[in-house]
Amino acid sequence: MIKVVNGGIEILVEDWPGRLGYMGLGMAAAGAMDNLALQLGNKIVGNELTDAGLEIAGGYCEFEFVEDGVIALTGADMSPTLNDEPMPMWEAVAVKVGDHLKLSHFGEKGFRSYLIPAGGVDVEKYLGSRSTCIFGNYGGFEGRKLAKDDIVKVFKKDITGIAGKKLNPKYMPDYENDWELRTIPGPNSAPDYVTEEGMNYLFSHSFKISHNANRAAYRLEEVDGSMFWAREDGGKGGSHPSNIVDHGYNIRGGLNITGNTPSVLVADGPTLGGFCCVAQVINADLWKIGQGIPARDKMHFKFTTLEEATEARKEREQMFEAADLIV
Amino acid sequence: MSKYEVILDTLPAEGDRVEILFRKAGDGFIQVEYGHEQRVELLDSFRILAADAKIKAANINGLIETLPSLRCNMIHFDPSVISPMQIIDKIKDIEESIAGVDDMVIDSRIITLPIAFEDSQTKKAVELYLKQVRPDAPNCEDGYNLDYMAQCNGCTVDDIKKMLLTTDWYNSGCGFWPGGGFFWPMDPRCKMIVPKYNPPRIWTPEGAVGIGGACLFTYTTATGGGYQLFGRTIPTFQFSMKHPQFKDGPFLYRPSGDRIRFVEASEKEILDIYDHVHDKTDYVYDIKESQIVVKDYLNFLAQPEVVNGATEFAEKQRIGSQTAPKL
Repeated sequence: MIKVVNGGIEILVEDWPGRLGYMGLGMAAAGAMDNLALQLGNKIVGNELTDAGLEIAGGYCEFEFVEDGVIALTGADMSPTLNDEPMPMWEAVAVKVGDHLKLSHFGEKGFRSYLIPAGGVDVEKYLGSRSTCIFGNYGGFEGRKLAKDDIVKVFKKDITGIAGKKLNPKYMPDYENDWELRTIPGPNSAPDYVTEEGMNYLFSHSFKISHNANRAAYRLEEVDGSMFWAREDGGKGGSHPSNIVDHGYNIRGGLNITGNTPSVLVADGPTLGGFCCVAQVINADLWKIGQGIPARDKMHFKFTTLEEATEARKEREQMFEAADLIV
Repeated sequence: MSKYEVILDTLPAEGDRVEILFRKAGDGFIQVEYGHEQRVELLDSFRILAADAKIKAANINGLIETLPSLRCNMIHFDPSVISPMQIIDKIKDIEESIAGVDDMVIDSRIITLPIAFEDSQTKKAVELYLKQVRPDAPNCEDGYNLDYMAQCNGCTVDDIKKMLLTTDWYNSGCGFWPGGGFFWPMDPRCKMIVPKYNPPRIWTPEGAVGIGGACLFTYTTATGGGYQLFGRTIPTFQFSMKHPQFKDGPFLYRPSGDRIRFVEASEKEILDIYDHVHDKTDYVYDIKESQIVVKDYLNFLAQPEVVNGATEFAEKQRIGSQTAPKL
């Protein structure tokens, strides 16, 4: 069990792939923003890839361990300390009753850290997943972010021989400040919705992330609508060319444009709405979106084919199976 | 051909079927779009629903979920199990097996919902909006939205209430918010059209019934929102799943195809039902299994009094929309 001493900005219970199968009933999948960090953490402590951990956005938090165990900390480096001594990341670390783990705040690169206990976080599944949808206040820990004095339960697990296991450095994800997201155009692309020039711009420009970027949408800087849109209006969908008769969204990862503002729709985003979706970030790169630092980092979209995306999924699966992943 | 072209395949128009476009929407999503025109046509939805039921029943290996809307269906699948072209072929086969829309019979329950017009909770939402968001909002001039809705449609408040109570409302697909359906009037003489709040509300009570454009929504939980409010109905969602109606999931509506009809009730009756849904869990919902026989519906639409009534109302609406203040 882990006690929250200071809840910081936002700590949520999340798993992967989240709550699949309910989009047609208005429920987005939720799930970890950086599924790669969560899943590598699970590998390090010997969990299943689908086990839940704590997603820590921004930092400024502190935990006390209420029982002995093993944990791994992955994701963004927030200068973690264990009993005021620097604690290694991407490594299984033994913790004892009374130990204190502190995270400072996000620094040069990345915005979310993951605390993964061996055994996984024990909250009841809601509709098949332990993930929190913070926008709808359901799932995870009472449908909310963790606060001071909350006690998070951990599933029992034999932890012998786990402490000291590490991620092989050759598999360490690269953190950036201008994130490259491999992206597939569609469903609302050129020539019928967006101009060729607009799509070229989309696939060549680095977009600054807005301060208003969260678990539903990562909002980006505006595009120039006079150059971007291939049509005058949205017909019955509405007066702006970004409008469309309400349709289902390709989330997680859909690049949605409301007015002239692009947003990457992520974990807790809307499942359906009346705006164009011009592209989608490929599944293998979804993890990068939530590591973008709001109001500071940028992201750019790299044109990618379906074949390349499918290949990238396979590579990811093979990496998780690799014999030298954890050393 | 542009590298941004996303139409992977098409099925040509035939009989009353419009051309069907299969659009790339990422590495796990395909959008099936019906026709090229942004139109609001329930017959499109009937067809999508008939195909969607068959897609779901086909047990396609690798299909994760579908997300139908008024003129599209978003298909979510696992590309490591089934390729986009394979899934498109399956959907094409299903489409080819569907006879003309005239012969369709669609499963569609009728759910009767009591509504209290201008109840104290939705009044409070309007008051808060005036206080916190937009004190000079022309849609809230008399402390509520019904007068504005009447102005926009060139009719009286009584006409507005009567239209809400007269027509059945058809759900083209749930989405946006957990459990929320997008409902359209089946009787064209009741097709009110109103602009949405600008800017949106911060708070709307659970059960509020609102309309934006021609689309009606029942708020499943307390949330923000932008639809003009009629009043309040009974719970259409229950996170806790305590009430037997919700034992298999928190949703009252099916993903699509349900019809709702409203009956007027007092606020006291509505509040009493809340108690019997959420606390005593013994309220019996009025839900009838039923079907839409499309041929009968088309005959209804073709009746002279329906055609003439719809034309007359559209003319009143045209004048009303010109004189009502813009939001």
